[in-house]
Amino acid sequence: MAIYKTAITKPITTALIFVAVIILGLFSLKQLPIDQFPEIEPPYISVMTAYPGANATEVETNVSKVLENSLNSVDGLKEITSTSKDNMSVILMEFEWGSNLDEATNDIRSYIDMVYDNLPDECTRPFIFKFSSSMMPVLQIAVTADESYPGLEKILNDNVVNDLNRIDGIGNISLSGAPQRYIYIDLDPKKLESYGVSLEQVGNAVKGNNLNLASGSVKMGKEQYQMRVQGEYVESSEINDIVVKSLGTKIVKVKDLAVVRDTIKDIALEEKMNGKDGVRLIIMKQTGANTVQIATDVKENLERIKKTLPADVKMDMIYDSSTDIINAINGLSESIFYALLFVVLVVLFFLGRWRATIIIALTIPISLVAAFIYLFVVDSSLNIISLCSLTVAIGMVVDDAIVVLENISKHVDRGENPREAAIYGTNEVWVSVIATTLVIVVVFMPLTMLTGQAVILFKQLGWIVTICVVTSTTVAISLTPMLASKLLKGHEVSIDKDGKLVESSQRMGWYDKFVIPLLNKLDAWYANVLRTCLRHKLLTILVIVGIFVLSLIPVFSGAIGSNFISDQDNSMMNITIELQRGTRVEETSAIARNIENKIREITPEALVISTALGSDDDAGMASLFNATNNNKMVTRVRTVTKDQRDRSIFEIAEAIRKELDKMPEIITYNVSTAMGNMGSNTVDVEIYGYDFKTTNRIAEDFINIIKDIPGARDITNSREQDRTELQIIFDKEKLAMSGLTESAVSMYVRNRVNGMAAGYFKEDGEEYDIIVRLKEEFRNNLNEIENIDLMTPTGQNIKLREVAQVKEYWCPPEIQRKRRERIVTLSVTPVGTSLGELAQEIQKKIDAYDVPSGVIVQIGGTYQDQQETFQDMVLLLALIVMLVYIVMASQFESFAKPFIIMMSVPFAFSGVILALFITGTNFDMIAALGAILLVGIVVKNGIVLVDYINLMRDRGYELGEAIALSGQSRLRPVLMTAFTTLLGMVPMALSTSAGSELWIPMGVAVIGGIIASTIITLIIVPILYSLMARHGERDKNAEVQKSFIFMRMNDTLDEDRRIDAEQNNNRLN
Amino acid sequence: MAKAVFIVYNQANTEKVFYMLDELGIRGYTFWEQVQGRGSQNGEPRHGSHTWPEMNSALITMVSDDKVDELLRTIHKLDKRQEELGVRAFVWHVENYV
Repeated sequence: MAIYKTAITKPITTALIFVAVIILGLFSLKQLPIDQFPEIEPPYISVMTAYPGANATEVETNVSKVLENSLNSVDGLKEITSTSKDNMSVILMEFEWGSNLDEATNDIRSYIDMVYDNLPDECTRPFIFKFSSSMMPVLQIAVTADESYPGLEKILNDNVVNDLNRIDGIGNISLSGAPQRYIYIDLDPKKLESYGVSLEQVGNAVKGNNLNLASGSVKMGKEQYQMRVQGEYVESSEINDIVVKSLGTKIVKVKDLAVVRDTIKDIALEEKMNGKDGVRLIIMKQTGANTVQIATDVKENLERIKKTLPADVKMDMIYDSSTDIINAINGLSESIFYALLFVVLVVLFFLGRWRATIIIALTIPISLVAAFIYLFVVDSSLNIISLCSLTVAIGMVVDDAIVVLENISKHVDRGENPREAAIYGTNEVWVSVIATTLVIVVVFMPLTMLTGQAVILFKQLGWIVTICVVTSTTVAISLTPMLASKLLKGHEVSIDKDGKLVESSQRMGWYDKFVIPLLNKLDAWYANVLRTCLRHKLLTILVIVGIFVLSLIPVFSGAIGSNFISDQDNSMMNITIELQRGTRVEETSAIARNIENKIREITPEALVISTALGSDDDAGMASLFNATNNNKMVTRVRTVTKDQRDRSIFEIAEAIRKELDKMPEIITYNVSTAMGNMGSNTVDVEIYGYDFKTTNRIAEDFINIIKDIPGARDITNSREQDRTELQIIFDKEKLAMSGLTESAVSMYVRNRVNGMAAGYFKEDGEEYDIIVRLKEEFRNNLNEIENIDLMTPTGQNIKLREVAQVKEYWCPPEIQRKRRERIVTLSVTPVGTSLGELAQEIQKKIDAYDVPSGVIVQIGGTYQDQQETFQDMVLLLALIVMLVYIVMASQFESFAKPFIIMMSVPFAFSGVILALFITGTNFDMIAALGAILLVGIVVKNGIVLVDYINLMRDRGYELGEAIALSGQSRLRPVLMTAFTTLLGMVPMALSTSAGSELWIPMGVAVIGGIIASTIITLIIVPILYSLMARHGERDKNAEVQKSFIFMRMNDTLDEDRRIDAEQNNNRLN
Repeated sequence: MAKAVFIVYNQANTEKVFYMLDELGIRGYTFWEQVQGRGSQNGEPRHGSHTWPEMNSALITMVSDDKVDELLRTIHKLDKRQEELGVRAFVWHVENYV
């Protein structure tokens, strides 16, 4: 028995099945985490190898090259790049999006094993490092303090970090720029010399008098005691009185030689928030954890913790990824809500009946809820993409229910009772309802097969729309007829006293009085227009083709830019500023204050300005990830939210750029407004070539050339400038004569300049380093360094300059390689222009440039990703077109008919182009998503119309009349589909919430496209049909008659009967 | 002494036809659920195809002569009630039966 019959005969089962679906869906919805984008592992793995003592070139030849050559054969590898610098080689491997990184990691491990023996002996074992989304901070909080600042690290660790660690799903919590307590013993070398004490003696004395030791147990009488030496310092001032040396009756104490300072560590990594000393609290989450939940929990807990902290400790949010997410999700939820409302209103307007509207509207929540179940099953989240997809789906899910309900209503209007009407009404249309759904499915299913970066965007769209539409069809042929059989009312009839049937007069509501005549007039008007157009086919086609060609002008004239993903205004920007190489960190700090003040002056919108600079020298491997160093600072600016300011973040960024341009001390800077995991939009100029000088020169040339291109900003050169270094060059003979070795001397120098670790000072269970070294003024110039005292094995004091020279050297830059060749990359950010336009401009310059042999210059970066994705999209479009053709051709059982619809699709794009052009929106991946959706709508409407024309012709109407009648009869369904989708997109296109930049292009594209595609369906499709069809081709009788010519034979019945009779007579005789 | 009445009607009339037979006290019948057809004067074809999606049902019942007239009159009323659906009846003479 067919599904709809079962549904009608078993209404309770049917209702309860859908109730179960809704409950499951709401349960899933409650469990779904909220995130910005679908979680996808970034396909990067890096291999890091330390090669102590080697310089960049050596690392390149002996480590990076060897590893690259081997790793290049790992399966699924897309691109291999490497950076070789002093002591360190980092190889970054990029894989195809969506590839299995665990497998790749195993592969990498075995390839490393294969070449490990070929690496230099001093190399450490290569370390494989995988990026994951849990490394992106969820929250960054600026903590500032006045008098508590020196103890801030301890306060935060004890009160905040431990407390927050208990939150479910929280990952790593780290403090950046926390002041560390250090005890410095600053020695005066002149005093050391006069007392005949070496730095090492001081260090050992300090270390040796700072002990707690057990000295065995003592038995006395009946008791037994533990004996201990309790010599550890209780106060740091005790160090002053430590005796270093005794000269007869005189003793030399530390305070005679040095100043002991119990203080915080000299600047290494400095963090300032709004110009005040502070610490950045960086909070990360575990992979797959709910960002929004964690952010809320952290904020709640912080409110509580704040009360227990000293009064001068202030906390300010610098970055909260959850606000972006919440804003975006709220914005989209609002759009979905409006879409739902509009769809219901449109249905109500066209049908004019509450009950019917309710039955149809019920399809929407059930279909949406099915999508939630899908998201829950595949461990995904509620995110921008899934919600955009739902908005897209809303307009489509009602279509099937409308078709079914309309047909049932038609039966009811003929006087059938609702139950029979539901059965037979559904029976008549259910096959074609499934067929149209199939078209939508073949448009959206291929999206799930995409590879590359677009996977993130399109996979979910494909699945969600497919699932929603399939669910809606299931609902339309089960729940809808069931509800119609129960809720629709048959016409009430009675028998009057004459025994005649009278229909009790239908109440004439305002709807019947005003709307129906209006709609009827519209139908009639359209039929007239269509007839006129059919009489002037050529003219109409010429006008429409003319409009189409005109609409292409903005594309070829470059008036419509293209982006990968539109930049979002998240009220955040990151400013990276690089000063002259070798600038000391205190100087950088002073410049940073200056820059902060300038920024504050020109951006009254700024809420928090926080700056980080310098680096933690002890951090080792972690320093690789540090964005800052002694001459590089990162300033984060958070402004008030978008609706509270007049300037967009892009305008503010531009103003800051202008200001930074004026500062001569800045070498390069980059003002980035991109946030989250999608990265920024840059065009990269890649210059491949072995020779440093040549490629450096070309890079310089291009920087100057590109500077003049309008809209090119933030040009950064990936190859860092050569930097100066101080090297100690020994005179081997003198060194040997003094009895010293290179390693001994380097240790002496290190102890005096960097400091000698002389144990720890313990307080409240924490340990603080004690560092012995020379006072700063005795180690801050070449002369003083050459004067450093060294102790020979014979106890003599000699100066460093007696055995060595200290010289300034230029040290080679770090070496970057890509595709196993040396490379320089110039990244350019487009401002006020699009990625595509900028890339084209730059390509022109590259073509005009005379590139020497052995050097290749090409464009890469986001632009390349975009090109690759667009290529994928074109392939995808081809696949979709083919599948749609197959479905349509089999539905019409005709090779030619699908072309009518196929040929109309390009015209829909002119609507997209015009809409983008008028609103000045750039074409990006999200707009492309809208364009694909349009293909679905155009095709669906086209099928509805062509199918109906076929039907009318089969029913014997003449071609022209069939077309006009079909148009008239299908006008309302087509308008309904158009309006539901159109109005569903309006809130999206007009939305101003944070992050709305992302989906506005889609709203604009779809609105433009829908308007165009509706006109196409209503005008072009009928005209193309009439051009491609021949009169009478569908007259099957004529066809059949041709092959059966027996009707025209002579009538020989009488003759044959006579012959038969004669034969019978003969036989009898 | 008996007549065969062949009733053919739009599927959507099925319930009403059976109700009518019960009301008139006619018990026996033979029923074809799905038959195709086309009316002689007007009326759309019923082919269950894409072009003509509707279907007819048919029923033959043997009734005594005196019931035929009442049956035909009732069927005519049913037809008047919903002319678009349509119901037709044709009467044969039954020669013999076992």
